[in-house]
Amino acid sequence: MDNIKPQDMGKTSDVLVRPEKLMPLPAPYDKPGMEPEFKPVKDTWKEDFCTSLDGFVGNDTLARPKTKEEEQEMIKKFLSGLDKLFSDQTNRGYLQPLALSFEYCAKCNTCSEACHTFKSSGETEIYRPIFRSEVLRKIYRKHKNGDSLVNRFIGGDIDLNIETILRLGELAYRCNLCRRCAQTCPLGLDNGLLAREIRKIFSMEMGIAPKPLHEKGTVNQLKIGSSTGLNKAALLDVIEFIEEDMYDKTGKEYKIPMDKKGADILLTHNAGEFLAWPENPAAFAIIFEEAGLNWTLSSEMIGYDNVNYGLFYDDAQAKKIGIQQFKAARDLGVRKIVIGECGHAHKAATVSMDRNVAGEDNIPRESFLPLLQDLIRKKAIKQDPSRNNFPVTLHDPCNMARMMGLIMPQREIINTICPQFREMTPNGAQNYCCGGGSGFAIMNSFNFPEFRNKIASRMKFKQILNAFQDTIEDPETPKYVCAPCSNCKGAIRDILDYYETTAKFNVHYGGLVELVVNAMPQFERPFLDFLDEEAGMM
Amino acid sequence: MANIEINGQQVEIDEDGFIVNPEQWDENVAAYFCKDEGIEELTDEHWKVINYLRDYYQQFEVAPMIRKLCKETGCNLKKIYELFPSGPAKGACKVAGLPKPTGCV
Repeated sequence: MDNIKPQDMGKTSDVLVRPEKLMPLPAPYDKPGMEPEFKPVKDTWKEDFCTSLDGFVGNDTLARPKTKEEEQEMIKKFLSGLDKLFSDQTNRGYLQPLALSFEYCAKCNTCSEACHTFKSSGETEIYRPIFRSEVLRKIYRKHKNGDSLVNRFIGGDIDLNIETILRLGELAYRCNLCRRCAQTCPLGLDNGLLAREIRKIFSMEMGIAPKPLHEKGTVNQLKIGSSTGLNKAALLDVIEFIEEDMYDKTGKEYKIPMDKKGADILLTHNAGEFLAWPENPAAFAIIFEEAGLNWTLSSEMIGYDNVNYGLFYDDAQAKKIGIQQFKAARDLGVRKIVIGECGHAHKAATVSMDRNVAGEDNIPRESFLPLLQDLIRKKAIKQDPSRNNFPVTLHDPCNMARMMGLIMPQREIINTICPQFREMTPNGAQNYCCGGGSGFAIMNSFNFPEFRNKIASRMKFKQILNAFQDTIEDPETPKYVCAPCSNCKGAIRDILDYYETTAKFNVHYGGLVELVVNAMPQFERPFLDFLDEEAGMM
Repeated sequence: MANIEINGQQVEIDEDGFIVNPEQWDENVAAYFCKDEGIEELTDEHWKVINYLRDYYQQFEVAPMIRKLCKETGCNLKKIYELFPSGPAKGACKVAGLPKPTGCV
């Protein structure tokens, strides 16, 4: 169906649109057969979930109602949630930016040109940042003003039926909340914020949120201590293993300080690092120990997992987790929290939580980036750039670069230690999302990974290929995408795997601290496994 | 979510084929998951990996990190992929009856 309008959201059809002509990729992915095709949508999914938007199931708790009564109940709930968004009693923190973004859109579509998902999908209409917002506006007008002829002329022209609601529940999860659209909007409106407000209606009023974010995410974190399911005993086992591993790699015995009362710094990691990328906490430990910092990790409840998925979909969950994280730091009596390589943890802990915690509980916290920059500048750790003599490019996590303006420290570091560094285009505050933002990196049910790998991450993949065009087809030259964020690493790992870019073209990925440790001349073995013959295929 | 019948037992699996209740796992379930994985027969090497995963999960209620799995079983990642073509998480953990990994992993 061409020229889809927001009004079409309520029309009964098998699928509103399937993205077809995706944005072409650069060489060597411009040749036929280089990219896996979309797999067909299963019939059972159509009955039980909402595949009628674009054929993808992202929201795995958005169950299709089985009876008319259930349908009416769901619509009613949605509308009561919508009312709560616009009430000062229930949405004080977000009402002002919501109202501003809701009212003044001039439909100039500057935002669409900035949106990686819209562009990557071959300009599929429903992925325009304003399409989703416009659906919400129409629903609101219809809900408030009724079905009069006049109202239909002033924007209330949409069917307030179950298809509209279900499709909107999926469409809220086709936006990475990267807010590149907000950055470019001439009026300063924030369509990313509106997408998140829609997610809030579904989660906070209707109890509908993707399981990886809610049930297995924030609920796990509040219950066990981490969304990964990592409890205290398992964490301590991991730490012991990391210490052994550091010894194997460096020949030096490092001890990771745990729960050290009164340390200057509580370093917090995304707990995913402990399980999937243990070399990252290891690299932090080596740097901090070599620099002689007075630091610690926490093994207490939530003190060892700095993620806060509440940021993606639910204000109440976000607040509960944020408060616990600050409490862990307060209990240890540290002077400040330093946040490791996790983008959304940066924003959650430094910016978002700032308004939620007052007085002494509002403990100072900062990014690891200025600290690391300082250590490199002052030569607190030895660095030999020739150990990093291979092509390196840098991905800017949206939450650090666009949301917080953290741009120069990582560049200064990487320019100092990587002789073959090259930027992606565009970069810094103008960067593109990795495609994993706002939870997409961990939403792996049904066919959602196809949406992520082929559409949401496509612009990032294009940028990576372009950054390495000089050596991409030379499999002898290892190439490294530096992504100082667990979520971004997850998304980039998946594209490099999906497109077989590591296997075919020797492109690797990892964080920033790993490059720093790899450049330390006192160690015989390289720190990066792909350079280390002894590490084999570990 | 779906229930499948394995040797007369109803076993609940999620959309991605992972077991929902790890206590329902037994050798028959492992044999069933193998078919999906394209494994013809479980060898001693398979069992070494499976048993390590299960023991670790029973002790810590979470899957071990891949690096640790490799080190403790003596199978490098390449070997794990040879044994379980879908890899350590989607392959080995699934056959060993561990639930799907969660969080940013």
